[in-house]
Amino acid sequence: MAKTTLYCLLAALMILVTSPAKLCAQTRTMGAFELDETELYAMTKQVSQFFSRFNNEEDQFGKKYNPGTKEYRNSQKRKQILPLLFDNENARTTSALRDYFIDDLTKPKSGNYLEFLNGRWYAEVSATFIHEGREVNIILFLMIEKENLGSKWVLTNVYYPAFNKLFPEGELAEREKHFLHPMSHELDFMNIYKAFNEPQVIEYYGRKSFHPDFLSLFFYEIKMGRIKFKSVDQLKFHIYQIESWYFEVAYLNRKGNNSGWLITNLMYMDEKEKNNFIKLYEP
Amino acid sequence: MKIKNIILALVISLSVSGFLAAQQDELSPERKQAIDSLALEKVRDLSKYVSIIGNKNTQWSEANRVIDRAEELFMAGAEIGVSSLARPDVLYYNVRAYFERLMRLNYDRVEIEWYKIEYVSDLQRQPDGTYVGVITIFQRFRGYDREGGLVYEDTTKKDITVYVKRKETQIGGRIIGFWDVLLGDIRVKETSR
Repeated sequence: MAKTTLYCLLAALMILVTSPAKLCAQTRTMGAFELDETELYAMTKQVSQFFSRFNNEEDQFGKKYNPGTKEYRNSQKRKQILPLLFDNENARTTSALRDYFIDDLTKPKSGNYLEFLNGRWYAEVSATFIHEGREVNIILFLMIEKENLGSKWVLTNVYYPAFNKLFPEGELAEREKHFLHPMSHELDFMNIYKAFNEPQVIEYYGRKSFHPDFLSLFFYEIKMGRIKFKSVDQLKFHIYQIESWYFEVAYLNRKGNNSGWLITNLMYMDEKEKNNFIKLYEP
Repeated sequence: MKIKNIILALVISLSVSGFLAAQQDELSPERKQAIDSLALEKVRDLSKYVSIIGNKNTQWSEANRVIDRAEELFMAGAEIGVSSLARPDVLYYNVRAYFERLMRLNYDRVEIEWYKIEYVSDLQRQPDGTYVGVITIFQRFRGYDREGGLVYEDTTKKDITVYVKRKETQIGGRIIGFWDVLLGDIRVKETSR
């Protein structure tokens, strides 16, 4: 066993010279079985570890570097570690775009690191609820918000198709048929009943800038007991912190050395476009 | 074990000079490391207790005594959410129910082993100032029937919430600060191995 460890350490040293990002096989005996722990070391086990690896703030065994040491956030090491954080079985994350992203990330500029409390990263929780007696899928969006001495996850929006159907865009010609004429006040708004006679288009009687607040609708339905939580089904994260880039991180539960929390989608995105997307999470 | 933890907590707290109580914003890497060790100690205690409770050779009364000890590691109201590859729905158990279920598993013999790997997240503060982190460990479980045949095995990833709070106690008339570590909710997920 000691001999194996020595070989392993020697091999690790060799690897550090050639390719620091790779792990040497971490085997040990457990009861009657020899177990290979390499996959578990390689797995990005927590989102927290994804952040640490992304920034190169820990070694391959998960031990944190002290800020101020030359390894901490070292660009050369990041170049070798970053490719391991992509889903390598996915065409969207294995193309030349990935290499451009890594190149961009490892240029010496600030803002190229992920920060837990810096905002612009969102959790997307796909959950099952019971609505009117049937199971429905509702997407919840959450973000980290600072409060008092620390921070917490807060709900920022929901996506539930049934809510969207309540507020269809509608043809402009149709919208223009529904209004209260500008002298209605002189008649004590005696015509206002027309707005309420057509509940399906009630929002046409709202101001031009009106946008339905789906989170309020959701809270209301929950409070009224008409929507009930059942389970969390899936989770992924949308990360907009890195200038000109957007990427998605999801948990891949699979064998091999490319598992755990990995980048499953990557897009080059200018900041203006990004701000439009962010409205989905933070309306 | 409890005494050992208290001593460790006191040693850690006494060795750290210039402590600014809960008002400080950041933990130094050294203090973080010390707190991580304390949290890992709790998790290792938990692992030990799980192995004893699950062992079919452990007497019923002893297993119950160990369940009591294991429960003391947790915050009140902590839950354990379990899912498997075959059943992705998360089943929730309170801590005691989870251990009692483990004690009653219908195998003639079980093997519970822990992988050496432990991953400790960064600690983040929640609004009340308590630090919260997650420790990930991996467990290998094997259940055998009377003939000694392996009937079930899995490897599970356990993500364990850890709460770290600064507390004070009086020893010999002196107020001594220490870090209190309690375990919280655990998410148990089967891995594809």
